[in-house]
Amino acid sequence: MSRSQYVRANYQVNATPQLKMLSDDQCENVLNGALEVLERTGAEIHSEKALEIFRKGGCWVDGNMVRFPSHLVEWAIRSAPSRIVISNQKGERTMFLEGQNVYYGPGPTNTYTIDPFTGERRRAKKSDTVRAAKVIDALPNISFAMDCGTVMDVTPTLSDVHAFQAMLENTNKPIIHWGFGIDQYQDIIDMAAAVAGGLEALQRDPFILLYSESSPPLRHSGEAIDKAIFAAKNNIPIVYTPCTFSGGVAPATMAATLVIAVADSLVGLVAGQLVRKGSGFVMGGLISTMDMSSTILSYGAAELSLLSAGLTAVARYMKIPMFSTGGCSDSKVIDTQMGIEAAFSILIAGLSGANLIHDCGYMEYGATSSLDLMTMDDEIIGMVKKILGGVLVDDEHLALDIIDKVGPGGHYLADDHTMAHFREFWAPTLINRLRFDGWKAEGSKTMAQRVKEKTQDIINNHKPEQKPESVLKEIQAIVDRAEAREANKR
Amino acid sequence: MPNYYEEISQNVITGQLDRVKQLTQQAIGAGNNPVEIINQGLIPGMSVVGARFKAGQMYVPEVLMSARAMNAGMDLVKPLILSEDIPSAGKVVLGTVKGDLHDIGKNLVGMMLESAGFTVINVGVDAGPEKFLQSIKEHQPGVIGMSALLTTTMLAMKDTIELLKEEGLRDKVKVMIGGAPISQDFADEIGADGFAPDAGSAADLCKKLLA
Repeated sequence: MSRSQYVRANYQVNATPQLKMLSDDQCENVLNGALEVLERTGAEIHSEKALEIFRKGGCWVDGNMVRFPSHLVEWAIRSAPSRIVISNQKGERTMFLEGQNVYYGPGPTNTYTIDPFTGERRRAKKSDTVRAAKVIDALPNISFAMDCGTVMDVTPTLSDVHAFQAMLENTNKPIIHWGFGIDQYQDIIDMAAAVAGGLEALQRDPFILLYSESSPPLRHSGEAIDKAIFAAKNNIPIVYTPCTFSGGVAPATMAATLVIAVADSLVGLVAGQLVRKGSGFVMGGLISTMDMSSTILSYGAAELSLLSAGLTAVARYMKIPMFSTGGCSDSKVIDTQMGIEAAFSILIAGLSGANLIHDCGYMEYGATSSLDLMTMDDEIIGMVKKILGGVLVDDEHLALDIIDKVGPGGHYLADDHTMAHFREFWAPTLINRLRFDGWKAEGSKTMAQRVKEKTQDIINNHKPEQKPESVLKEIQAIVDRAEAREANKR
Repeated sequence: MPNYYEEISQNVITGQLDRVKQLTQQAIGAGNNPVEIINQGLIPGMSVVGARFKAGQMYVPEVLMSARAMNAGMDLVKPLILSEDIPSAGKVVLGTVKGDLHDIGKNLVGMMLESAGFTVINVGVDAGPEKFLQSIKEHQPGVIGMSALLTTTMLAMKDTIELLKEEGLRDKVKVMIGGAPISQDFADEIGADGFAPDAGSAADLCKKLLA
């Protein structure tokens, strides 16, 4: 093995490709903008509980309007943890939300889902979340679970609780989950505690992140902000996400859209930190443009990637874990548009270093979920992860000895060095590289057909690791309790 | 006598608010019939805008600028006309249902309706059945429109329809609904008269419901 004969000084390594959408100065600029908005304009808060917390914390409260002194917001930014470790449901620490680690997963609460067998676009049922959880469990590049559609064939106000049960029963991956309100959040925490072996075990090694959406610009419903408070009280990390779209709920410029998104995230952050200093908080959420012809919030726009990467840069600047978006599309069917939009958003979100990247499997501007798209995303993520691995440059990988040994005109196919390294190449599972005749012999299948077959195969044959009967019973008892409570409300 | 109608129309189309005001004032000063200013100047301009928007030749912000320009002209003309003579395609009460604070889409619908000549009464967000009821009693609209963004809050739409039935008002007013989780199936299920998937088609739906 040859060694470099010179002494290296200040040798710099690009271990991965670099994409930093905003410089630190630009991040500071956006953050200062958000601090100014919170201090000058303020936010509308529709919760007595939250208003009281903000008042006691030193905010200026006038009716529903809350203005936040910058020092308080800056305190909250410093007080929140820069890293949150999420376990799988067996208590193994699997997702390190820190630095630029990236983990991909699906999204929540689509109005419709595409039936993977019939192709029908319809409201989601509990059995659809069962299918989704199986597919999530089987796909190696999907790191966490979300419900992939609001379940509509159960008690309407317990759609969240039933979806959570369906996921618990069919995957052991971490779960990010929403709830209608505090009652349901309590059900979800109780179910999660049953799996983890008690609330304390869940708090120490959380496998769930709660999920709450505010209503930008600068408006926070009682349910949204109360959920941030509830999560902090119970010491469970929360993803607090405004859904900010340029030209609609934010000015038509991207910098201002970032300002609104950061400001709205910070409102949730301050609430949580005032309740429990150091409670786990993940910022981010959907950020894109409103299409000015159709008025949809675009999930395939170039601006979705730009803005998400920009918001990720600001989150990283504040050292707050980030929840970003990728693997989604405005297309209504599996087609070329879907492939283009999914691939670009997965790549850019990955390059940006966002910790959690959600909405894999979202099609039709988020209105519909597709397990086929999620399966295709899994393949794209595999490809992107390879790209994120960069090019390794060291003596072993420069292989000068091997080049000298084989010499001009030789080949490397049978060399030990090739044997040792060729498996570092990314190997596709759905992308087809067969020669023409081989492809024809296998039925001349398109990508869409191969994706569909894989999804159906997983649903038919994948057997997720089952939880003990006693835990499943405990979960069912909590669902029954919730049903009784909701029945009393009616 | 110069009537300025063509020029008013053109400036509504291009969204020139100040110019529309100026021309409308001049048209009034020249002694034109106020109802004619509306029917031959302001509204024809907006009709072109509506058609161009549908054809994908104009974008939402441009449509709203045109609507704003048209309304500025209307504000000058209206005081000169008896209220029953003011041309209106009909009255619509709009609101976001109880428990829901999302109103961007609903407001967009309101602006689209106004630009199509409807009189819009906006009851805001978090509007319970009683609020819609009260507004119906007060304004006698031809249509009420309910909006919801959330799958939970959309269920509140049914409550309003039920209350209208109890009060014996259901056949006096048409009910249309919209919002991200709403579908035609859901509209049928809760007994609404119509569903519009977006702001542009909401205006068409209103016209259809009142025809």
